[in-house]
Amino acid sequence: MRVLRRLAAGVAAAATMLGVAAAPAQSQETLTVWFTKGFYAGEDQALERVVQRFQQQTGVRVELSLPSTEDCVTRSVAAVEARTPPDVGFCTTYDFRTTGRWAFEGRLEDLTPIINPIKDRFQDAALATTFLARRDGQKAYYAMPIQQQFMHFNYWKDLLEQSGATEADIPKGWDAFWNFWCDRVQNGLRQRGQRINGIGHPMGIAASDTFYSFLTWANAYNVQIVDANGNLVLDQPANKANMIKAVETYAQIFTRGCTPSSSINWLDPDNNVAFHNKQIVATHNATISIAAKWLDDSNNANLTAEQRAQAKTNYEQLVRTIPWPNKPDGTALPTRAAVKTAVVFADGKNKKRGLEFLAFMTQEENLAPFVEGSVGRWFPVTKAGVNSPFWQADDHRKAVKAQYEAGTVPFEFVYNFRFTAVNAENVWARAVQRVAQDRIAPAQAVDEMIARIRQLIAP
Amino acid sequence: MSAVTTPSAMPYSAGSRGFSEGLGLKGWGMLLLAPYVALFALFVVYPVLYGFWLGSNPAIYTQLFEDPAFWTAYTNTMVFLLVAVNLKFVLAMMLSGFFVVQRPWIQVMLVIFILPWAMPSIPTILSFRFMLNSEWGVINSEYFRWTFQDGPGWLNRPDLAFTWSIIVHIWKSLPFWTLILITGRLAISQDLYEAASVDGASRWQQFRHITWPSLATLYISSTMLSMIWTLGDFNSVYLLTGGGPGDKTHVLATLGVRYLRIDQLELGIAAIITALPLIVPMVWYMVKRLSRGPGE
Amino acid sequence: MKRFTSEAGLILIAIPILFWTLFPIWHLFVLSISTQQQMLEGRLFPSDPTLRNYYLVFTQGHYYLSLFWQQMWNSFFIAAMTGIITLLIATFAAFAISQLQARGGRMIMNFALATYLIPAAFLAVPMYKTMGIYGFLNSQWSLIMAMVALASPYAIWVLKQASDKLPAELREAAIIDGATVPQLFRLIYLPLMMPSLVAIGIYALLLAWNEYLYAFLLLANERQVPMAVALGTFLGADDSPWNIMMATGFIYALPPVAIYYTFRKYMVSGLTAGAVKS
Repeated sequence: MRVLRRLAAGVAAAATMLGVAAAPAQSQETLTVWFTKGFYAGEDQALERVVQRFQQQTGVRVELSLPSTEDCVTRSVAAVEARTPPDVGFCTTYDFRTTGRWAFEGRLEDLTPIINPIKDRFQDAALATTFLARRDGQKAYYAMPIQQQFMHFNYWKDLLEQSGATEADIPKGWDAFWNFWCDRVQNGLRQRGQRINGIGHPMGIAASDTFYSFLTWANAYNVQIVDANGNLVLDQPANKANMIKAVETYAQIFTRGCTPSSSINWLDPDNNVAFHNKQIVATHNATISIAAKWLDDSNNANLTAEQRAQAKTNYEQLVRTIPWPNKPDGTALPTRAAVKTAVVFADGKNKKRGLEFLAFMTQEENLAPFVEGSVGRWFPVTKAGVNSPFWQADDHRKAVKAQYEAGTVPFEFVYNFRFTAVNAENVWARAVQRVAQDRIAPAQAVDEMIARIRQLIAP
Repeated sequence: MSAVTTPSAMPYSAGSRGFSEGLGLKGWGMLLLAPYVALFALFVVYPVLYGFWLGSNPAIYTQLFEDPAFWTAYTNTMVFLLVAVNLKFVLAMMLSGFFVVQRPWIQVMLVIFILPWAMPSIPTILSFRFMLNSEWGVINSEYFRWTFQDGPGWLNRPDLAFTWSIIVHIWKSLPFWTLILITGRLAISQDLYEAASVDGASRWQQFRHITWPSLATLYISSTMLSMIWTLGDFNSVYLLTGGGPGDKTHVLATLGVRYLRIDQLELGIAAIITALPLIVPMVWYMVKRLSRGPGE
Repeated sequence: MKRFTSEAGLILIAIPILFWTLFPIWHLFVLSISTQQQMLEGRLFPSDPTLRNYYLVFTQGHYYLSLFWQQMWNSFFIAAMTGIITLLIATFAAFAISQLQARGGRMIMNFALATYLIPAAFLAVPMYKTMGIYGFLNSQWSLIMAMVALASPYAIWVLKQASDKLPAELREAAIIDGATVPQLFRLIYLPLMMPSLVAIGIYALLLAWNEYLYAFLLLANERQVPMAVALGTFLGADDSPWNIMMATGFIYALPPVAIYYTFRKYMVSGLTAGAVKS
């Protein structure tokens, strides 16, 4: 054992030496930037142009890396824990998973100095989501809004018509709307021998789609989960009763067989995949990525001319984007907005340039091409961005803009960052699955849900 | 195996010319061991200590035990270890009996049989995943073509999904262990079987009285080793079911990564540390067993 | 062997074994030569097979494959380096422990064995932190060193087992002839150990080639990541081009299979003989 002790002592020394040896002789100032790899080449190209201009202007070399969505956040978490984060980070799931927590734990640099001068350029609601509390209760802008997403409903016009219905038949009322897809459309197609489901209904625990959809569903039932101070109010009788209804009805889409049975296991891309392959007539989805894929395909040089033409028809005529129906009480259902945030890490090596980069990136002429490079998948967070002709260009984008103008509501984690853990564990999907699969009473599932939320948000 | 080995007691005489020159025996020994010792210290000892340090907060275990997914994963891990590994070894034992038959075509088959082990797991497990998809996988598509009904949701029901994880695990690692047992079987003297045949022993009797006694130790150490490794196998679960549906098919190895993915690094480490009571005794036993010199 | 049953009986056993072994691989191949439409119809044989997916892969024609050749090269480089370094370190160590009976060798063996037995997933996150401290992060060497650390315990152990079985007479003769330690190592030890060395080198190489978890944790830049990580990015794609992913996966699976079969003789004797002894 003596050898072991000596070993352990030697490790620290060797590590320090290695650290010194491995630190490269800095010939040029560098800035490390991690961005989620775009879903479309246009996003990456726009980002690379920004990076190039920034390099020319400052002479700083930018080390840009573009991990995929899931890798991006996982790697960031590990890097932050290891205190070796990049200088600037932007992953499209930070807001759901980590931003609030990092701010609370003091892992993020205060962005107020670069946000204050340009405050007026941002939409108030979007900017408000980045005003976050530290452990000591002090609040500041710890993140930079970059783009946002809303919840939509997509369907195939041609499949709808094959079922014997028309677009004019789509009801606006809550129950009538879901029954329409479940019964009339699905049965219509099944009678014609097609193995198709009426709705693609995200249920998987590992999918952010599920909590986005479910929480929107809960809004429809007027469930309030937290108050403006971040305190849990879900356990109040009215909220709880509404939540029971929400869980019950959300699960019913599955138990009635209106969604493919694999939707209980879906990951984020799977409802898109099922939709593109016409295994479902309709699905609800946060972002118009479903339509955007066809637009992207219609310009994809690697596809045949025929495929491109079909993609164009799909985008322009066959795929439709609409808002959700009205709430059961007949009032309009505002969409939830999720604002994607970029951060500068407190443990970054070159924070000064990190701030500069973010300020540079959010100049309208740099940000707009990046956001619009996603062909509509992401919505701008600046006032000017909304008024770009881009959002008037076609029916899908007009639908998104109309939803924005009807007003948006934020997620619970904006009020209490600990709800990121509730969403990450997907307590909502778990309750739905308890009802749909384990066949327990919705009231019991909601009791379990509340008990678990209490554990998860305990300080 | 009854490999005859020479004990490595070294008859170096102190006066032998070559060895007393330069660094000397001891010096050379130290020098040649140094790279590994450095590697071990830097990339094993230090990370392990750091892992323990990360998992040393008792509060984290309270949190872990509150998570229902943890207990599911713990039970699953036990089932995985006991059922998957034992089933695999019974199969490997039977298959090794088949593959030692001296026919040219069986030897060719053995070459093919190794494929699942020789191929990287990502593409093959994803192939399973696609095949089992309840809507567009080949199994349910064929089923629909014949019956006009939707087949079972192979990966949508926790029990079926977990069973498939076990099957995939067996598919992937069966060839390796079969190969080990084949080697063991080939080391048994043929004379024993010939003598037994002359005496009119049935095949079961031959297995019971010749094969099994010769293979028992190998079989048991292999099983134990495989259990330890199976504990660390997250591919079969992670790539096939992702732990779903409803986090009900997780094992401890995948649960650890799940926590990492939901930004609960300490919980991830803690989940893996809870597996230590299972593996430490086995590792301890195996290290003692395996490190015993052949002559001792 | 035993006077065994009829050929028919053997064939009856062989058919399910072949099906079990080959079906998932066949399915993988079928997907890789299917169009998106065909793939989703779930056919046992594609009615309209196409090599287009492979063409897209080789010409880097898909957005997720724009660095295909670079990433293949990364896989090769990382795997080869892991193989070489593991071999160097492990051979030295096994030689020192077995032939020179270096002090503490027994204890080092035991520690090495214990490391080998502990699941690698446990070490992943701490390893990441450690690499950060050493300043290795985002360099392929971090992955290479991590893989060497994971591969060498087993390597040492197998090589030590094999070394112990070398005939002592040769060594004694060499010593009497006045050979130095380097001479003993180079002229006697290495040639005799060659089969095990080949097996171990390949073992380490394949381990690194197949690794996913460590690769995506330790490497951030998409120009540095190996193919395994690039394959993983497909899972996040909205339109899940599984057919192209499977074509990529099939290509990715070929080198290890080819290497394995080329050196099969060494692998079986080297790995299995050392893996578990009775």
